Amino acid sequence: MPKNIWKSIKEYENDPEVLKAKLDEYKEGVKDNFTPDEMSSLSRRKFLAILAASTAYATTACTNYRDKGEIVPYVDRPEEILPGKPNFYASTFSDDGKSYGILVKTREGRPIKIEGNPDDPINKGKIPSKVHASILNLYDPERLTEPTLDGKEISWEKVNKSIANLLASSNKEIALITNPITSPATQKLLDELQAKYSNVKVYTTQLFSNCNRQDAWKKSYDSEVLPSIKWNKAKVIVSLESDFLGKEGNRTENARLYAEGRDIVNGNDINRLYTFEAGMSLTGMNSDYRVRLKPQKQYQLVMALLSELLKRGSISSSNFDSSILSSIRKNSISSFATDNNLDTKKLTTLVSDLGKNKGKTIIYAGDILPTETHIAVNLLNDALGNSNLYDYSKGFVNFGSVSSPNDIKQLVANMYAGSVGAVIHFDSNPVYELSNSFGYAEALTKVETVVALSEAVNETTKLSSYVLPLSNILESWGVHQTRVGSITLQQPVISTLYNTKQKEEVLLNWLGNGSDDAYTKYLKSYVKENVYNKGSNAADFNTFWFSALHDGVINVSSKINSYPNFIQSNFANANTSVNGFTVLLQDNYSFGLGQYANNGWLQELPHPVTKLTWDNCAAVSPSTAKELGVENDDVLKINIGDREISIAAMIQPGMANETIAIELGYGRSNAGTVANNVGVNANLLLDGSSQLYFDNASVTKTGETYKLVSTQEHHSLDEELVKDLHLIRNIIQEGTAEEYAKHPEFLKEHKHEIFSITDNHEYNDVKWSMSIDLNKCLGCSECITSCNVENNIPVVGKDQVEVGREMHWLRLDRYYSGTPDEPIVSVQPMLCQHCDNAPCENVCPVNATNHSPDGLNQMVYNRCVGTRYCANNCPYKVRRFNFYDFRDHFRDEYYQNELTYLVNNPEVTVRSRGVIEKCTFCVQNIMEGRELAIKEDEEFTGKDVTTSCQTACPTNAIEFGNSNIPESTIAKNREHNLSYHVLEELNIIPNVTYLAKIRNTHSEDV
Amino acid sequence: MSSEYAQEFSVVEGKPSLRSLDEIISKPLNTKPGLKYYLALAFTLTLLSIGAVGLAASLYYGTGLWGNNNPVGWAWPIVNFVFWIGIGHAGTLISAILFLFRQKWRTGIARFAEAMTIFAVITAMIFPIMHTGRPWIAAVWLLPYPNQHSLWVNFNSPLLWDVFAVSTYFTVSFVFWYVGLIPDFATLRDRATSKIKKVIYSVTSLGWRHSNRHWQHYEMVYLILAGLATPLVLSVHTIVSFDFATSQLPGWHTTILPPYFVAGAVFSGFAMVQNVLIFVRKIFNYEHIITVDTLEKMNKIMLLTGTMVGYAYSMELFIAWYSGVNAEQFAFVNRAFGNYAWAYWIMFSCNVFIPQLFWIKKIRRSIPMMFVIAVFVNIGMWFERFVIVVTSLSRDFLPSSWAYYSPTITDISLLIGSFGLFFTMVLLFAKALPAISIAEVKAVVDGSQPTHHEEH
Repeated sequence: MPKNIWKSIKEYENDPEVLKAKLDEYKEGVKDNFTPDEMSSLSRRKFLAILAASTAYATTACTNYRDKGEIVPYVDRPEEILPGKPNFYASTFSDDGKSYGILVKTREGRPIKIEGNPDDPINKGKIPSKVHASILNLYDPERLTEPTLDGKEISWEKVNKSIANLLASSNKEIALITNPITSPATQKLLDELQAKYSNVKVYTTQLFSNCNRQDAWKKSYDSEVLPSIKWNKAKVIVSLESDFLGKEGNRTENARLYAEGRDIVNGNDINRLYTFEAGMSLTGMNSDYRVRLKPQKQYQLVMALLSELLKRGSISSSNFDSSILSSIRKNSISSFATDNNLDTKKLTTLVSDLGKNKGKTIIYAGDILPTETHIAVNLLNDALGNSNLYDYSKGFVNFGSVSSPNDIKQLVANMYAGSVGAVIHFDSNPVYELSNSFGYAEALTKVETVVALSEAVNETTKLSSYVLPLSNILESWGVHQTRVGSITLQQPVISTLYNTKQKEEVLLNWLGNGSDDAYTKYLKSYVKENVYNKGSNAADFNTFWFSALHDGVINVSSKINSYPNFIQSNFANANTSVNGFTVLLQDNYSFGLGQYANNGWLQELPHPVTKLTWDNCAAVSPSTAKELGVENDDVLKINIGDREISIAAMIQPGMANETIAIELGYGRSNAGTVANNVGVNANLLLDGSSQLYFDNASVTKTGETYKLVSTQEHHSLDEELVKDLHLIRNIIQEGTAEEYAKHPEFLKEHKHEIFSITDNHEYNDVKWSMSIDLNKCLGCSECITSCNVENNIPVVGKDQVEVGREMHWLRLDRYYSGTPDEPIVSVQPMLCQHCDNAPCENVCPVNATNHSPDGLNQMVYNRCVGTRYCANNCPYKVRRFNFYDFRDHFRDEYYQNELTYLVNNPEVTVRSRGVIEKCTFCVQNIMEGRELAIKEDEEFTGKDVTTSCQTACPTNAIEFGNSNIPESTIAKNREHNLSYHVLEELNIIPNVTYLAKIRNTHSEDV
Repeated sequence: MSSEYAQEFSVVEGKPSLRSLDEIISKPLNTKPGLKYYLALAFTLTLLSIGAVGLAASLYYGTGLWGNNNPVGWAWPIVNFVFWIGIGHAGTLISAILFLFRQKWRTGIARFAEAMTIFAVITAMIFPIMHTGRPWIAAVWLLPYPNQHSLWVNFNSPLLWDVFAVSTYFTVSFVFWYVGLIPDFATLRDRATSKIKKVIYSVTSLGWRHSNRHWQHYEMVYLILAGLATPLVLSVHTIVSFDFATSQLPGWHTTILPPYFVAGAVFSGFAMVQNVLIFVRKIFNYEHIITVDTLEKMNKIMLLTGTMVGYAYSMELFIAWYSGVNAEQFAFVNRAFGNYAWAYWIMFSCNVFIPQLFWIKKIRRSIPMMFVIAVFVNIGMWFERFVIVVTSLSRDFLPSSWAYYSPTITDISLLIGSFGLFFTMVLLFAKALPAISIAEVKAVVDGSQPTHHEEH
């Protein structure tokens, strides 16, 4: 080996520098004492740092991620609040003379959902759509925020001072106009106000009141307490122009009790519902027998029934005074049937049903019917021994009658005369509600001081000088009593968002008590004096108070006013003449007449019968439409005397001929961006009396058309091609009670064996399923609203519903069969069926929708690119596509603001434009249950998990749960004789089971 | 065997000299375009910009600008997609399948037809991407690429097969077309007088020297590519039809769809090629190269495929009835007699009745008549896709969810824009590249091939 190997001359010469370098194995800078500073200015680390920084800069510079503000954690965490855990507070919702116990779900101090309070003895945790959706009113961007005088902001102190001065100094009448007051404490305050200022006069207005019923009851039994009805105990229910399942009275309670009587799935006998009505109502839709009859004829019907029952000896003539007997005997079923062109058989069937089920039937007249008819109905019920179905322990509290038309007329006259110093609108809107014939709006201009207390703008605030913003229900204290047996408490769940006060606080201020917590103290002492002291409570008041607030309900003993005798002398004959066209003015199903009109969720909720959204219409029968030459969307001019409106027609199967039904609450001129100019204001047809139906109306076609928009096409009854498809395709499967009794397995008899060439998926752990009992489902749409709130469903607006882009995850399909004039209606809630072999899943190119091990059909919004293939391939068409960012699109970003965003449920993603969405079976609730089980170290069986539609359903038609537990209701329902799947033959194995509707008709009719 | 049958008709009329072929084919490339050309271009660009505005608006505001609604998730954009993919079928069929079958008459029209294929596929490809809710991510996420989320595309989805089928078809068609262009680029390079053109053609001709060895390789590559392209002609529309056939929607879920779609695609593709060529041969004086004989042969193919389509329509109805499934039966009765019956009968008359006129030789050889009939065929074929896509969706299983579909102005603008894009590309092509394959035409001129016939 050569000794001297050299690589350079320097090395050969043993240059010391080279020798030194040779000693170091590594070059400079990579030594043990490595210091980056000695190296080139761009070290590896620095290079990487610059690379990382520039990448970060580049990416952040290229995003449009807006600064969403700072997130600051609590410094002192409120004791009750655990981030991520919802808190529930019991409270009360009241509107239009009705009240409901509610549970408000709050997260980190903000209310996000209103649910029913299960402890409420009347409603048992069920609330109407209006209450569900009212959470949006709290966050309505158009709420009144500051007190104003003639449009200029003014402080509360100044307002209160000047009004208190006015009250004290004015010697003219001061009118206070309010809606019925459900709170005894508020009533007491009003009384105190009147006591202190004797010139204050209180007027109560309510368009849809039950004063005829109250009046008739008083005349019949001399009793103030109108009993509630034990619908669940009735075997035969006869509804006379009464939508007791849809609108009237306490409909959530009615629906629940009625549906208890339709529990055929658990082997119970079911009731039979007869409906006699002119309009097509939710009740009519659900009835076993439905007869079209104008309201004017209802009295005769009752008399004819009495007469026939007498004739058959079902009731004895000793029940009646001789004068009544003679007027009864003037009537007969056969002549009544021929006079009114009715099917005699239906009437005789009814009579024999009534005779057979004495004491277990109920005849129920509608609120709009005159007092005489109500008295006749009371008499009929009395004669049939039905009074044991009256429930006095839950009777209705009479909170003073509504001011009579004459009172209002007098007030208006006084206003014109200048003898009214001030009008105070105490959370009421008479400018819109009262008939134009009073001339109220003009009279207001003659009054010096007009005050309006209101949560949001309305027609009255526009004409008022002082506009005082009221707090939302969720920001207010209160105590309410609408039923004799229970009192509900109302507590604020959020401090006031704006400079608002609750109306009671304002009253107290005018009474001279201006402290901030004046009303809280007042309320507490009211409860102490009037509730606590009257009961026999072991606990001290504070304990009582807090436990009452916790429960939201105080049960009070009620004097049972049982079985008073019918006072025959007050019986009177009713006017039964009817001429020409009859116009029926009805309440609307979803939002009523007040501030809830400005609620997009409610405006977009499809009408349960017509499926119409964003409009009211003139419903006409198919035969009458043909006579008039009217098609859907034709604008009709309707005149009653000199009152006139133009409104689009809609051909509604099942309407009485020569009758037009119009819903009120629409055509608002100053109710907010959402409600303004939606529909037609049919209040203009009111004549100033309390009457809500009119005859001698003239109906003419104007030749114009106006597009009405509904969520279902109108074709099923007209086109031969599509007639009864829902029955042919077994989408709706029904039977009769007799058929079911004879052949319990009648549904399964003609079933084909479905086989698959592949193995079914196995679900060994938990398997989520739902069953829907179509016997109990009334089609009321509460489930839809509840789902909307829970799952952040956007409002899309009329233009988008028109092109079929409503976003509801759950819809209620309504099908007609039978004839256009006498339709049979079937309702079916339709939501994602979470099929085991879901056809949507295999077609998604990016795997954005897939199946969970517990049987959920999942939707991954982030992954979705929006091909809409899944929606096309879904046979139930329950997938919804975000054609726009609807929050951005609706009414110029009306709901896109910081405030309204607070309504969103933080557990549910707010979907962006371009993705598909659909029902998740409320997966957020499932996950919450799972987390809890993990935390408690228990096996997760899913027993307490509920979906939003299920909790909202007033009739408990929806069952949800783990069908892998064989003893669970859901597992049993799936195996039930009446169970079926929609479109079973596709073998996609849906997990929503329907329990077939059993109609309680007589077999010979079928 | 009688000599009349044995004799091959001349593909190119009049036995032009090879040099004159060079000249006439490269003439549009060497002359400045005239006013008419600019007017035509202005027109197509106007159409294109209408579409561009519609597209920009759809991107900005969302797919909500279209008429699509809840049952009808797919509508005009998908109709347009299938329509344009269909148009793209004639080119490759003419250049590949007819090449394999040694149909010499294809020579005059192959290049142009192939170019139209490429343009039609480009036009078509815009729609499936743009019709998604979020095209900016759809364009990426529909491709299977490894990523840190371990997220894959769904290989079960026919839409994904579409992505593969269409992109493969486009790639192969493009390569095939380009390979065919190489000898012509070389010819152009040799004839080029300006420096810039020379450089461009030198690059694009990839060093072609017309050598014997080049020709040998070229013929082999061309044959192999033709072999590759041939199954693709059948597969693309087969797979497009899978989008519908593998779903469970009545009216879509039918096994006849693949052959029916392919026949329809060839049908409409030939109609479009015939329409365009009628203009091309007139404007560029190619009447002796793209002869009436050639056009007649195309018309015969249209007659054949049109009749096949008619058979498919009838068979669909029969099978629907035969299936005994109500939803299936309803879907077809509804097509013919429901609320979209007008569309069905437009489709039926344009595609089945009108092309029957091609049984008559006079009509088959009359330029105006064949032009009008082919226009009807294209209208009919567009409506066929409309009928399949929209009528099936608008009335499916549950009557409760049915809804009528009407297009919006944006939908119309996109359709107009697609024609604008296609014809703009066609016009630019006609001016920038040889519209007829110079090399291939030379090979089919009478006398260019050795023959055993004594008289030559």
